[in-house]
Amino acid sequence: MVLFSVIGTIVAMIFMAASIIFPQPLLLVLAMSIGQGIAIFALVLYLLAVALDLQSSSAMYIPSEENPATPDSSSAGGSEPPAA
Amino acid sequence: MFSIHSTEQLLKAIALACAALSILVCVWYIVRRPHLNRVTKSMLLLGLGAFPLIVSLTGNIASFEYTLSRPFCGSCHVMGPYLRDAEDPKSNSLAAMHSRNHKFGENSCYTCHADYQMFGAITTKQNGMKHLFKYITEYASTGPDGEGGPAIHLYKPFKSGACMQCHSATAKKWVETHGDSAEAIRSGEMNCIDCHNDIHPLALSRRPGAGKGAAK
Repeated sequence: MVLFSVIGTIVAMIFMAASIIFPQPLLLVLAMSIGQGIAIFALVLYLLAVALDLQSSSAMYIPSEENPATPDSSSAGGSEPPAA
Repeated sequence: MFSIHSTEQLLKAIALACAALSILVCVWYIVRRPHLNRVTKSMLLLGLGAFPLIVSLTGNIASFEYTLSRPFCGSCHVMGPYLRDAEDPKSNSLAAMHSRNHKFGENSCYTCHADYQMFGAITTKQNGMKHLFKYITEYASTGPDGEGGPAIHLYKPFKSGACMQCHSATAKKWVETHGDSAEAIRSGEMNCIDCHNDIHPLALSRRPGAGKGAAK
């Protein structure tokens, strides 16, 4: 998903840069509409990928919180005393 | 050597620099394919979010500024005769005289033809989109100056309000020279271009054999 958004951003940037370097009417209109549309879509796609990544990482983190014997919680020095 | 002389050029330079940075970040990601850790996410947020946003904002403003300029209006080939006359230092047409005026400068087409009202800039740009559509559908395959295409005409009558942005209709000299017509001009019954009609002499509509209803 991130790769698609990166490729989309490259296409959009090339579109917009071309419209600035060669300001022809059709190119300007396309860059201001399609180019910006692709860029926004790419950003939304990236934010979605980050949100999914955060969701999956937090889902992985929940069992480690429930289990105090995991290396993470022991090394962090939790406030609860270790079981006897 | 690239040099910056105006705000428009500065905005263009910023937009191009940010576009280049954004592309660099994207290429870096494609080549390296790093793990999506905090640093990668921050880099991508810059490359996919912040830089494109700056490109979009500065590019839009710079492009909008450029669309006001005479070279942009003249970039469609059907505007060739209008552009040649406006840029002719020997021409005495209204378009040429106003284009030589430094107050109009490069924006002489827009200054006279933009709608003079509260949302004039927006309605003018809407008409610009209409121009583009008509150009593609009706004029794209016409001759070097638009020969063979339909006659070019204004969407609505040219109003004297555009002239009166600079030429005051209450100035003593103007009132004296316009005599009885002064009130009719002010009220809109008469238009400035009814008499001052040597505006675009090279336009196709001014050439021998041109049809009726064409623009002046």
